[in-house]
Amino acid sequence: MQRALLVSLGLVAGLTLGVAPAIAAPFSCPRKGGDFVFGQEANVNSLDMMTSSSISTRNAALNIFETLVARDENNNVILDLADSVAEAPDHLSYTFKLRPGATFHNGKPLTSADVAASYDRYNRIGLNRGMFAKVAGWDTPDATTFVIRMKEVQPIFLELLSSFLAPPVIVPAEFKDDPPQQLHPVGTGPWKLADFIPGSYVKLARYDGYVPNARFEQRTGFGGYKQACFDTVTLRIVPEPGARVAGLRTGELQGVEDIPTKSVAELKGDKNITLTPMYNWWIQMAVPNTSAVPTDNLAFRKAVQAALDMDEIMDAATDGNYRLNVGLQYPNQPAYTDVGKETYNQHDAALAKKYLAEAGYKGEPVLLLTNKDYASMYNAALVMAEQLKAVGVNAQMKVTDWPTSTQTAKTNAGWNYAFTGWGSETAVGALGIMQDLIPPSAQWMPKDPNGDADLNAAYLDMTQKLDPKDRQAAWVQAQKIALERAYVLPFGSLTKMQGVRANVQGFTPFRIPRMSNVWFTN
Amino acid sequence: MAGIALRRLLGAVPVLLIVSLITFGMMRAIPGDPSAIIGGISATQEQLAQIRHELGLDQPAYIQLLTWYTGLAHGDFGRSLLMGQPVLQVTMQRLPVTLALSAYALVLTLVLGLLGGIFAALRQNTWVDQAAMMFSMLGISVPNFFLGLLMIFLFGVYLGWLPTGGYIPLWQDPVGWLRTSTMPAISLALLQVGLLARITRSTMLEVLRQDYIRTARAKGLPRRLVVGKHALANALIPITTVVGIVISLLISGSVVTETLFSLPGIGQLLTQAVLNRDYPMVQGGLLLVTAFLVFVNIVVDVCYALLDPRVRYESP
Repeated sequence: MQRALLVSLGLVAGLTLGVAPAIAAPFSCPRKGGDFVFGQEANVNSLDMMTSSSISTRNAALNIFETLVARDENNNVILDLADSVAEAPDHLSYTFKLRPGATFHNGKPLTSADVAASYDRYNRIGLNRGMFAKVAGWDTPDATTFVIRMKEVQPIFLELLSSFLAPPVIVPAEFKDDPPQQLHPVGTGPWKLADFIPGSYVKLARYDGYVPNARFEQRTGFGGYKQACFDTVTLRIVPEPGARVAGLRTGELQGVEDIPTKSVAELKGDKNITLTPMYNWWIQMAVPNTSAVPTDNLAFRKAVQAALDMDEIMDAATDGNYRLNVGLQYPNQPAYTDVGKETYNQHDAALAKKYLAEAGYKGEPVLLLTNKDYASMYNAALVMAEQLKAVGVNAQMKVTDWPTSTQTAKTNAGWNYAFTGWGSETAVGALGIMQDLIPPSAQWMPKDPNGDADLNAAYLDMTQKLDPKDRQAAWVQAQKIALERAYVLPFGSLTKMQGVRANVQGFTPFRIPRMSNVWFTN
Repeated sequence: MAGIALRRLLGAVPVLLIVSLITFGMMRAIPGDPSAIIGGISATQEQLAQIRHELGLDQPAYIQLLTWYTGLAHGDFGRSLLMGQPVLQVTMQRLPVTLALSAYALVLTLVLGLLGGIFAALRQNTWVDQAAMMFSMLGISVPNFFLGLLMIFLFGVYLGWLPTGGYIPLWQDPVGWLRTSTMPAISLALLQVGLLARITRSTMLEVLRQDYIRTARAKGLPRRLVVGKHALANALIPITTVVGIVISLLISGSVVTETLFSLPGIGQLLTQAVLNRDYPMVQGGLLLVTAFLVFVNIVVDVCYALLDPRVRYESP
């Protein structure tokens, strides 16, 4: 199992972190060989992990590339390409020692110059380059040491650095000038790119020069002790759900994602198939537009909160594949709190009507902005509309496609509730959630461009307090405010069903399908 | 003949210009833009503005149009916003998949549609005619998406005769290509088979009632000669025009089939490009496909002229 190598939020300043290498026997592939063909839903447009936030890119690229720090199975920060990290006593620098033996797929050993060049590129075009806003610069005192200098203290820096949304992956220095979306797919991971036909498949091959992270014994999250057991992995693009199920049943595909609910019962009876539910894929939700009438009125938003039956909404949205979930994190996550639970799943019509009267609601239309690209969002809106009509709200559906919905929801007119799912934001932790709740990207469209002062203060504490306990207390306060002031309407947690052939072992669902430490039994 | 081809080629220029303008205008008119797709739902307005600037989308539309046309004049169709690859390169990677599939489907359409129509006409009002027309009506009525799914479960899952999806290029493994393309080609062709069979039947029936056919029969010519040389040769003239349209329909109809059978063709590419608001990809890809279809129609026109001397003589 994983050794206690959690840098996590409890990083102690001035202490070099990193523990002795694992003593127990690390994971060893029980059987090597074969081509694991995985049917994935969405096309892979590019393998440039620095400039793409798409899940389909991550599915392939995070098996190829690695980062200095990553996340473990429960979202804690762990060391990956970094062998150790030391935070200066004044918190104004981080010194990383690189993992020994790490080489790129072109055979070149990893050096601090590669890290610096990768960060230069990320700082120039990386999608989340805002994480470097408080960074003064970086130095490479020697080939195995990389130092990040901060302009000011940022206790959450490692948490930001380890986020997998569009991570600053490490590539050979010679690729630092690659334009956006055109990064050479040469990383340090256990899998190297063998072939990529956009729209058809991505083929990965075992990288024989890979030296696993000896500080772990098992794979964990995106890091840990990773071993490539298959000879090759083919991520085949199969957009049609019926075709994915058919491929799994015939064995042409040995693993698939996003199995439609109507096929689950049938597959459960097939002894050749193992269903692997990916719980907590995202929090199904609606976000209010607090700049528009009548959702600018807190009493009205509370009326909506009071009216909703989350069981009904989630059942329709997910065909029964859901868990009721209070708040904006999942129970297995370190930041989880059920504060604000009294606002959730009330389905109290009398209370809703009381709030409507208090709000002075006069039957103004309430536009539910949804889309048909994601059936769960459309179905959730359908049910919510009916539940609102039942308490006297003039709810109207506004159905567009997903890009239009996304763009409309970034304006403050033409909608009252936008339907969405917070998946990756939730998975990266409370900070990910907060980025969607505070300006400049507050999705609840505050009238005041500065947002909610109390929420901002809580966020400031989450990012500035040195003690992790204080930061957690600030998050609890933030969730309390967000739910009590109805800035978000979380319905519940959606389960995404995945499946593999019965001879596939070690496949544990995660945010991306991890191909390391997975093998065929025959 | 060369004059006909040249005139058609010149006539294609305004067609391509109009198509390019309409595509450019429509892509700008529909809401949603690629910056939101690239940045994701959590992107700030500042990040979106930065992405738009990097992609050149903050320029006025007429500048973007002029930039695109300038590129086109130099053979540069632009670069896909999401894939980062040249549009021409991506299109040329995908077009052969669609063309090979469409060609396979066209062969099926011609063989089944022509034979079905001819036999139905020759056996008018018999069970052969009824069966052929019922089959063609089935092809027209059943959505190819539904038919494709049925075939996947029948031939792929239950019988295990054919793979349920995936693609093997023709030049890499012809047998593999045949296995991966047969179900998609049938699914794509069946609608066109129905159409062609019905048109062939009605055309043949009309020709078979002509005086020159009666004369040929009266002269005692064998039936196969009457049908093959006199009836079919004349019936082929309108059928040729229909075949030109069928080719266009096969290529445009490949969108659904390619998605269902996971084929990396141009239909799937352009659908994704529209959904992702990948402007250069949609504009350039559509222009190239349009150019190809225009070329096909020119070839059909030339064939028409070859088959019917009146067209050659009447053309100015």
